[in-house]
Amino acid sequence: MAAADLNTVRATIESRLATELQSSPSIPVVFNNVSYSPTPNSSWVQCLLNFGANEYLSQGLTTDSQNRIVGAIVINIFTPAGVGSGANYTIGGRIRDLYNRIIVSGVYFDAPIGPEVVGTPAPEGYFQTQVRVTFEFIEEL
Amino acid sequence: MATIRGEQGTVQFDAAGSSNATIVGTRSWSLSITKETLDTSKHGDTFRSFVGSMISGSGTVELVYDPDATGQAAFLEDVLTTADPADATFELFTTGSTSGTDSVSFAGIITDMEITSTVGELVIVSCNFITSGAITSNLE
Repeated sequence: MAAADLNTVRATIESRLATELQSSPSIPVVFNNVSYSPTPNSSWVQCLLNFGANEYLSQGLTTDSQNRIVGAIVINIFTPAGVGSGANYTIGGRIRDLYNRIIVSGVYFDAPIGPEVVGTPAPEGYFQTQVRVTFEFIEEL
Repeated sequence: MATIRGEQGTVQFDAAGSSNATIVGTRSWSLSITKETLDTSKHGDTFRSFVGSMISGSGTVELVYDPDATGQAAFLEDVLTTADPADATFELFTTGSTSGTDSVSFAGIITDMEITSTVGELVIVSCNFITSGAITSNLE
């Protein structure tokens, strides 16, 4: 038993998305703290991962004990503006299927929210939707 | 003076009563000790009087179910022991896991086991027990 390696959890989550979006049709994906200048009128995806609350799960302080670590992934999907929403929702469907109620390397993904249309795209000039997925990981000490 | 939080606690158990070991994944425990009383009031008394009699205890241990967690299977399956001789031993710790310190120990019988599986939640096991024989308190 050991404390959770949050970077391993991050890699588990992000690599799943990176691998999927590398497959045809390939779509650029950008993660936290990575600079990216999108090509106008192209499709691309931004993945923002955040760890949130931790809570006690069992007794025992630092030995033979467990914590629940929860987090959320916010995935912004950008597709060209003015050409309908089909391409965007196709990407959204791929992403949703990637996490929907799946357990990977001890990370439990909940049923995703979205894709929801974002009224004011950021950056401007795209049609933007957002998929949000909460997850949890049980840390065993 | 030091207050104690629940996460400092531990439950140790041995179905055979020889060597208690920590049950990994214990979420909570509770113990209630009851002393029966005998009425010693006599004719002419105007106030009722009592003496203490038999002492017994009961309680609950709740687990976050993990089939691989040390000690869980033996604990929750003890309810299936037929003709239970009450040879299982328990030690409930408010803090730490040093036998005889900050704990209550006793032999007992697990009388109920309930395992609950709910969508979106952790699987939880709840076991009720009663004590059998002496209860030793080291809660000072």
